[in-house]
Parts: sequence; C-alpha cells; structure tokens
Amino acid sequence: MTKQQTIFESFVVLLIVSAMTLVGNHAGFNNNIIDALPGMGILLLLCISGVATNMFLLKKIPSVLFVITYGVIITLPTFPYSAVTNAYVAKVHFLALTTPILAYAGVAIGKDLAAFKKSGWRIVVVSLFVMVSTYIGSAAIAQAVLKYMGDI
Amino acid sequence: MNDAVKNVKLHLLVLALVVVSELIGIVTFKVGPGKLVLLPMLYAMFMGIFMGPKFLKVVKEKDMIQASTLVGLTLLLLMARYGTLVGPKFYEILKAGPALVLQEFGNIATLIIGIPLAMYLGLKREAVGAAHSIAREPNVALIGDIYGLDSAEGRGVMGVYICGTVFGTIFFGLMASFLAAFEIFHPYALAMASGVGSASMMTAAVGSLSASYPAMAEQIQAFGVASNTLSGIDGVYMSLILALPMSNKLYNYLYKLKYKTCSENV
Repeated sequence: MTKQQTIFESFVVLLIVSAMTLVGNHAGFNNNIIDALPGMGILLLLCISGVATNMFLLKKIPSVLFVITYGVIITLPTFPYSAVTNAYVAKVHFLALTTPILAYAGVAIGKDLAAFKKSGWRIVVVSLFVMVSTYIGSAAIAQAVLKYMGDI
Repeated sequence: MNDAVKNVKLHLLVLALVVVSELIGIVTFKVGPGKLVLLPMLYAMFMGIFMGPKFLKVVKEKDMIQASTLVGLTLLLLMARYGTLVGPKFYEILKAGPALVLQEFGNIATLIIGIPLAMYLGLKREAVGAAHSIAREPNVALIGDIYGLDSAEGRGVMGVYICGTVFGTIFFGLMASFLAAFEIFHPYALAMASGVGSASMMTAAVGSLSASYPAMAEQIQAFGVASNTLSGIDGVYMSLILALPMSNKLYNYLYKLKYKTCSENV
C-alpha cells in the first residue's frame, strides 16, 4: 500500500471488496448476505483500525501486523464478547475472502508475464525445488518436535 | 481520489470472476495416491490472467497496474479474518509453541537443496538470490537492499518471486494434499509447515489440508496462520542472519569445486 492512499480511500476499497466477499460468500458457501453482514463489518473495522494505527501512531510497522493482532485480541477466549464476535465472523468463510484477492492478483499478474518468460526455465525448476524443500523441511521439523513433545 | 479506486470496470470484472469462481466451488478429485483440491481462488486467478492483453484483451495495461496497487489492501480483510482464527485457538497454539517456532528453521532447507541445484543448472550469483529463501516480498526487499534488484542476485530473487506468484498457490495446494495422502506427516505438522511467509500459499495449503481432514480444519487453519504470522515476523531476520550468509558460503565452496577457481565475490 502506498503512503498516498488516505484512510478514506482504503475504506472505500475495503468496502468494495467486502461487498464482493459477501456476494461470493453467499454464492459459494451459502452464507446469507444479511447473516454475514455483522461479521464482515467487524473485519472491516479491524482493517480500518490497523490502517489508522499504522498511519497515525506507528508508521514503521506495517498495517498487516496490527490488523492480525487486533483480530487475535478481540477473539481471545478471555476478551469480552469474544464468543459473540466469533459467531459473527464465522459467517464469513475464510476461503470466500481469498477469491477477490486472487482475482485482483490474477488481473495484475498479466503485466509480469513477459518478465517471467525472460527469467527462463532454470529459474522455474529452481523455484519448484525451493517450494518443495521449504515445505518438507519445515514439516519434518514440526513432525519431529510434535512427536518428541508427545502432542501427536 | 486514487484512480484505482474509481476503476469501476475493474471492480465489476473482479466481482464477475468472484461469482463465477464461487459458483464452480471447491472441486476435489483423486489423482494417484493424492487428492487434488481446486479452490475458487485458483479459478479467479487464472481467469484474471486470461483477461490480460495477451489473451482475451478485456483489461489494459492501466487496469493491470491499478489492480496490483489494490492487492495489498484487499489482503487486509483476509488478515483480519486470520487474526480471528488465531484468537480462539491462542492458548492451544502457545502449547504447541516449540514445534511452531522450531519448524521455522525448516525454511533454511531451501538453500541446502536450491543452491547446488541452481549451480548445477549453470546459474551463478543468480543462485544466491533465487535459492536463499522462498523469495516472498520481505526477501525480495532484502536482496534489493543488499545487491540491488538489477544485479544477478536480484534477477534470481525476482525470478523465483514471479514463479511463486504464478504457480505458488496451485503448487502449495497440490503439495499439501499429496503429502497428506501419503500420511508420512501428521496434518498438524503439514499445517505448521504451510506458513512460509505468503498468505496465498499458506491459504492454498491450509485449504487443501482442511478439505482432506474436515474434523481438524479449525486447528489446521490456526496452525497455518500462526506459522505464517511467525514467518512474517522472523522471515527477514532469518534471511539476513542465517540464510544469506549460509548461501554465500555454500556458493563459494561449490564455485571452487565446479570451476576450480575462487568466485569473484568471496
């Protein structure tokens, strides 16, 4: 996100995406738009609070970190009304939120295709191995530690 | 007001992509030993790519640039939802703390395999940029800071970044469902491994895993998100302090072996 974008602009974009999510959430996950409205509103508020914190208080720390942290705090079992909040946001399926993002990203990727072609097949091979080794490396460590701790 | 916000055509197009993708819904089918899970976000992305000037010519250069400025902001809503996924499971995640924290070191596995492979394929300093990490935004920024993005290292990291953006989502989804089908790793271990610093890759992996293990879905999502959040926090430090120096050492060592002379950057 660029610094020039004001809170208002962010709000409008988030509002547009929220509306899309509600429609997708209805079409794909049978969550009625009206039922999902309060949950979507809560998510929107979290985002705006995060953007505002980044803009007015701590400019060095990215908004994303605040948005996630606020989300965690309001749904902690010990936080007031967390059960109610949780029930509301549960009506917004998390996969429904991913579809608009990837749709925008898909449209955006079009412009990088030429650069991608230039980088060549060797990079493609390397990146596939990079993804596999990161995933299996982490899974192996997690598996070993969980076993050792007796959690699985 | 920013032009990207006012691009009604772009928003309506995205809305159409979303509705079509969601109506198709999650498709699962068996492939060999694994279960292939195709999520609406994948259709949305591919349809989005096909709207470009190379294919259907629905969107122009301007629309593509504006779309890219909006991606970061749209991600926030997902992040908010992620936060609310972690909250209720917070104390359980704390209990699983050691596994979650230690698996972060698994991200270093990429350089141990990636650097030799890249050099075998004939890449030189590109190898360091390409294989020191999974090359998500913080890593790209770091390489750009140290070497510059138009350097060999910069070309390497950008190449893997673009590959990851194009194939990462689908690849992580497939990889998670295949590994789940083989049952070598516990679903929790696979969920913890899903967080590599990319929300879409993690979501794809977690999405396939939760479709494979519906009874554990909530736990899987919480672990995935927690691990991805951790990666987001430690990723840059991990690269700077551990992965990049190790990559350079390994590169110089292999360079001597392969070319029988010291590399130019020792």
